[in-house]
Amino acid sequence: MTAPGYELREDLTAAHRTALSGWAGPGAWWSGRERLAIVTECRRARAAEDRPAWEAPSTVEGLVPDDHPLPAVAVDVIWRLTRHPGTLTRDWYDGVIDRGIEPLRYLELVAVVATAASVDMFARALALDPPALPDPRSGSPSAEAPAGVEVGTHWVPTVPMTGPNVLLAMSAVPNEHPIVRTLAEAQYLPPDALMNDLAWSRGTLDRMQTELIAARTSALNECFY
Amino acid sequence: MLLGLSGLTAGAAVDHLAVGGSGRGDGGVIDGSLLTRFVEAIHHGGSDLPLVRDELTQQCGVATMVDAAAVCANFHMMTRIADGTGTPLDEFSVEASAELRRDLALDDLDTARLPG
Repeated sequence: MTAPGYELREDLTAAHRTALSGWAGPGAWWSGRERLAIVTECRRARAAEDRPAWEAPSTVEGLVPDDHPLPAVAVDVIWRLTRHPGTLTRDWYDGVIDRGIEPLRYLELVAVVATAASVDMFARALALDPPALPDPRSGSPSAEAPAGVEVGTHWVPTVPMTGPNVLLAMSAVPNEHPIVRTLAEAQYLPPDALMNDLAWSRGTLDRMQTELIAARTSALNECFY
Repeated sequence: MLLGLSGLTAGAAVDHLAVGGSGRGDGGVIDGSLLTRFVEAIHHGGSDLPLVRDELTQQCGVATMVDAAAVCANFHMMTRIADGTGTPLDEFSVEASAELRRDLALDDLDTARLPG
């Protein structure tokens, strides 16, 4: 990502490159081509005029091309999660699953949408173009679920483990962990500092400033967690 | 919750109401109001974003502005992970966050999910 006038930390640009590369390769449930199509659809959703949260784009005449590379339910999830994350409920999730998307496939979709939101909102903040997407890498999704996957505390399946619930959320799609972890460490703070060093700082923002930004962003997204 | 804990660590009194909007003061955080205005401008993507970005850069320096953008970007990711997966509040933070949830009416959100 080029940033005229801004000197970006190398770990920050490297983290964003990790995301771009991760999107381009096959995951457990989506191909590299499909994952890049998800990111492209996120960008289309973000650029579109505002629509009511409950209006599924696949039901709007002419909004989603007939030859779209993703299933209609995936497009609807992408738009809802990109534009209206604060409106998601258990009933909505159940409805999505009832439309035929497997829970682990849904979960990987969430991971790609969430990481795409991060990279592209950073670009927006600095008035940069969203980074150009790489060519997809070949290969089929592995279709491998980790051992011990079950539905427990979250809507989605997880692998029982200790740690904050939000870190547990992606445990059933371990291929997504490196992308999320790398972004979080470069953009926010090292995981060890989360609870163990409440005065941690890179030397720019102090920890209170960091947490105020985090909390205000969460509030704007109407995120309870 | 981490805002309050970081304030305790720093020996500062944090006012959580600042989380509700830039018009609610700085929350006891240095440049807090300007930082929340920046977050709001990023979120809405409107015409005020360049102005707020320039003001923050002038006030705090470009490295701080970039890091503020990065933290904001990170929580556009984390909120979507939490709300896309139905992540419930952690047991350990239910009691600690009670005052904050009351003050900001967080329990009324569609995404409110307590454990259990």
